[in-house]
Amino acid sequence: MINPRVDRATPVIVQGISGRAGRLHSRLMREYGTNIVGGVSPKMEAREVNGIPLFPDCRSAVEATGATASVALVGAMQLLGAISEAVAAGIRHIVTPTEGAPVHDALKARHLVREAGAVWIGASTPGMAVPGEAKLGFLPDDSLKPGTLGIMSKSGTLSYEAGYRLVRKGIGQSVWVGVGGDPVKGTRFADLVPFFAADGRTAALLIIGEIGGHEEEDFAAALTAHRFEKPVFALIAGRTAPEGIAMGHAGALTHGSHGTFESKRAALAAAGVPVFSSLGEMVEGVCGRLR
Amino acid sequence: MYLLEHDAKELLARHGIPIPAGCLVESVSALDRAALPAGPWVVKGQVALGGRGKAGLVRKADSIEQVAAYVKSILGTPIRGRHAGAVRIEQNAGPAEEAYIGLLLDAAAGAVRVIMSEHGGVDIEALPREALLTATAPAEIQALCSCVRRLAASVTIARRAALLDAGERLARVFLEREALLIEINPLFVRADGTWIAGDAKVVTDDNALPRQPAVRALLQSRAAAYPETALKLEHGFDYVVVDPAGEIGLLTTGAGLSMMLIDELRAAGLRPYNFLDIRTGGLRGEITRLVNVLDWIAKGERVRVLLVNIFAGITDLGEFSQLLVSALRKTPQFRLPVVARLVGNGLPAAREVLVKAGIGLHTELDEALADVQRHLAARAHIVGGPR
Repeated sequence: MINPRVDRATPVIVQGISGRAGRLHSRLMREYGTNIVGGVSPKMEAREVNGIPLFPDCRSAVEATGATASVALVGAMQLLGAISEAVAAGIRHIVTPTEGAPVHDALKARHLVREAGAVWIGASTPGMAVPGEAKLGFLPDDSLKPGTLGIMSKSGTLSYEAGYRLVRKGIGQSVWVGVGGDPVKGTRFADLVPFFAADGRTAALLIIGEIGGHEEEDFAAALTAHRFEKPVFALIAGRTAPEGIAMGHAGALTHGSHGTFESKRAALAAAGVPVFSSLGEMVEGVCGRLR
Repeated sequence: MYLLEHDAKELLARHGIPIPAGCLVESVSALDRAALPAGPWVVKGQVALGGRGKAGLVRKADSIEQVAAYVKSILGTPIRGRHAGAVRIEQNAGPAEEAYIGLLLDAAAGAVRVIMSEHGGVDIEALPREALLTATAPAEIQALCSCVRRLAASVTIARRAALLDAGERLARVFLEREALLIEINPLFVRADGTWIAGDAKVVTDDNALPRQPAVRALLQSRAAAYPETALKLEHGFDYVVVDPAGEIGLLTTGAGLSMMLIDELRAAGLRPYNFLDIRTGGLRGEITRLVNVLDWIAKGERVRVLLVNIFAGITDLGEFSQLLVSALRKTPQFRLPVVARLVGNGLPAAREVLVKAGIGLHTELDEALADVQRHLAARAHIVGGPR
């Protein structure tokens, strides 16, 4: 079972910490409560960033700090190398916000992560969080609050908006995983069905999907196969998007009847999942059921 | 990027895939008899949509007059709201037996799926499951070729050699060009066992463009046929005109939220003009992206209001608002009212900047939408005035 849960004790390193994003987000993650124990910076132009000790590679960082998780803030063409290095160093949980990674690199990365039995979340994701414990990535604090709703999302901004509106109605999250908008990724909606089914701190599940691919359809099939009994809600973007054009995310592309809103709505409805077509309806639907 | 058939075939031909001789024609007046292959011909509308045959965009022609007539009718026929920008005129490769072969990314398996069938020429979805041979393999040449051989072993002897050869060649193209999908349907198998691609569908990975010079060159030479991908390659973000007659310009960030906003506007009976994922994190204190976007939106003839919707976890909204106001000053051709809805860090500073510039600021999306509707209603009464 893929278990994405982390807590305030989980020791985390940041790969690419000396870049612009690395400096900013290592500080923000630590301010949130994440146990950032080190950073990887191959050039080693300094000994620390924001008081976080730097290491030239993952292996030395893991040996010195005992880190088990990593957030890799690296460029698209460096992603495969970063994942490969982290897994080889013994990292068990890797989160990669990187946008624009080549799909064939993602295929290779997924293969080696699975071989190692590690957890990879991403790419093209704001990351994940266990509110009140730790966040790996940059989900906005305004949208996070400890609670019992599990969230999985392909889209960053749409999930920020959804989380923000639900938080203002008093509904917080147990575990929030941005699975990301790429077609090939480390963790898909369906992969986390067993985890959310077994997780005692999750009472219900919200998935935020979008057109393209089969991920929502596969998720619906997994719910049925696992006899998932908790309430599940879905919000899907792109109902009116034009065919054959990628809408921002590389994966958000329909052709013919493939990847369409209707295909996803029908599969989810057959698994007993209501699909909302606006944020307002989603908030009403979730609140009506959970409060 | 979903390649048009013509580009897909020319790309495949460079990798040794046999295709019928053909040429691309963008208008009736550009039709040059000397450039045509020998007849009889098939005239095929070039639009990145399935179901072209049913829509009348694929026609067989025996005479040059017929070719000209079909070029004219195909270029003038809309399919699901879109137009073919060109036609491919090629030598009719039939009659021959029709088979099917496809290689595609199987995202769930994290592998490449190979699909083969002795029967082709129809929508593969319409074939019974037992007519399809399929298996997955890792994205690696030996594994893929051995998968192709395994599947081909079950194919009837008359078509086995053709499907085996096609599969092995396509496996190489798939990996070398980092494709997401390659499909040949129909794959014509002649009586002597040789084969040729009747139709071809290729989807390439935009993210691999930086290291795929051949695909990049194709895109650059045919930028008008792929405006969205060309724009992303040049500017680093996504912008799509979703409704040329749209009335609401959108300045938004985030693919999912931008798509959802378009869905919601349409559900409310409104007409958004564009999709945009500007990526506020990529602005880096520069107004270039904003100036470009304002300029493009100003070209929408019926756009009457700009809605800015930024939900940014990290972006400093004060800085963003400064950039927006500077960008508006730099684009005097942009004279539309602006409604802004911002959530995130630095809201008080943003409010000060925007109010000074006369821009209404909201923190609730519903309020911003009501404001947009007020602007649309008010401007509907202005006839002949400046937009």
